Amino acid sequence: MKCLRPAALAAVVLAAVALPAAAQNANPQLLAFTCQGCHGTAGKSPGSIPALQGKTAEQILALLKDFRDGGRAATVMGRIAKGYTDAEIEAIAKEVASWK
Amino acid sequence: MTKITRRTFTTYAGAAAAALAMPAIGRAQAPKARVVVIGGGFGGATAAKYVRQIDRQIDVTLVEPSASFTTCPFSNYVLAGFKTMADITHSYATLTASHGVKHVQTSAQAIDAAQKSVRLANGETLRYDKLIVSPGIDLRWGAIKGYDEAAAEKIPHAWRAGPQTTLLRQQLEAMPDGGTVVMAAPANPFRCPPGPYERASMIAYYLKANKPRSKILILDAKDAFSKQGLFQDGWKALYGDMITWVPLKDDGKVVEIDVNAKEVTTEFGKKHKGDVINLIPPQWAGAIARASGLANEAGWCPVNQTTFESTLHRDVHVVGDASIAGAMPKSGFAANSQGKVAAMAVVNAVNNRPMAAPTYVNTCYSLVSREYGISVADVYRVTDQGIVAVQGAGGVSPREAPPAFRFQESVYAEGWYASMTQEIWGS
Repeated sequence: MKCLRPAALAAVVLAAVALPAAAQNANPQLLAFTCQGCHGTAGKSPGSIPALQGKTAEQILALLKDFRDGGRAATVMGRIAKGYTDAEIEAIAKEVASWK
Repeated sequence: MTKITRRTFTTYAGAAAAALAMPAIGRAQAPKARVVVIGGGFGGATAAKYVRQIDRQIDVTLVEPSASFTTCPFSNYVLAGFKTMADITHSYATLTASHGVKHVQTSAQAIDAAQKSVRLANGETLRYDKLIVSPGIDLRWGAIKGYDEAAAEKIPHAWRAGPQTTLLRQQLEAMPDGGTVVMAAPANPFRCPPGPYERASMIAYYLKANKPRSKILILDAKDAFSKQGLFQDGWKALYGDMITWVPLKDDGKVVEIDVNAKEVTTEFGKKHKGDVINLIPPQWAGAIARASGLANEAGWCPVNQTTFESTLHRDVHVVGDASIAGAMPKSGFAANSQGKVAAMAVVNAVNNRPMAAPTYVNTCYSLVSREYGISVADVYRVTDQGIVAVQGAGGVSPREAPPAFRFQESVYAEGWYASMTQEIWGS
């Protein structure tokens, strides 16, 4: 492997640090883990939080976008959905739809 | 809640379930790695379950002296009188039986990070490839003059749920109408930023129905608190002038307590007597973390913000209240979020896979009354400034909202608890 000179190496390291986190390869499984905290294991909510189990990726994608863009009334989901990029929302929707 | 020979039962059940769960080929193989988790609370139990969920070929042993976990979240509703201790207590049976986590029911006494071993109070030594430490907080005895461990048996903090919660509830029940409850709230950082104010709300909820001439005095070591506008709006609407909040700048900081006289003294020498005193002192990381070189001078644990690996000892991760996590609050939800990320980081390291950039979430519900809920939520990312809340997202419930909105959030508060405790402990 060709060795980078210190200056070039520093530039590569700095570039890696400066990239916004969303630009790096996000792990869809890890992204969607968080949803289970409120929506329950595999989205099978045991209580009043709406279940995600049984929803298709298209349905979840539409819901998340609606929450994010303010088209759907929400208590907390608007605030949360706004935290994710388009790519992340698509990844989350696919991942959640795959939960059994 | 059963108390019989749970340790024996879970040991055999866990071993049996683990044997059944492994594929026929796998049963003869050694595990890829051994992970030890210290602490079975929101952070530790989450991490233990998720390591097993992501990679079944990794052995996980949970070191936790208790047979079950009593949650601080919702313990304020025991104080209010509409939840019981049983409602907020969760067994480890599902972790062991369904996820094959081995539960060693003892406490960790010392971590040898060089040898990669943990010495247990029962005399055993556990070796680990990766260690996840989630010890919660300890109260800083002596930080408030006169408030040591013995004092807490008379003047509860109830900032670790269990017998302390029951003690405080009993004291509230015994207080006559017209009495004064004095609460002392600590400076940042501390476990559960909205906690003391939800507690004041829940005590007010109980007093309004049962002892309406009583008063609550909150003496605060700081000048602002979490969801302050929402809490104060709610207190005015629901409880009139029952609750008085004294900020730091108005001599709110409690510096001393006379346990027998049931009197606290504030910074500038003012004395306040209470019929019931709930003193929430300054805190720091749980003892095992501090004793093992995982904490800094302030008593909290510095960690890599992407993996929660300790910056002081390799192959040891610290999650939950004990960790320093940038903008994330010290909450059960945050510990759950961090536990999942640490579990993924550990599994990736074992499998020589790179760790993707994580996001974290915190969502905290507080009840101002049983039918009136408020929340704060944030999504977090790792930047070169550490863990920060995503701009333009998150925040607190709207200041102006109809009763139906507050009611819906109170309903979701219950729903959140049911979901999270089920996804962590399975019950």
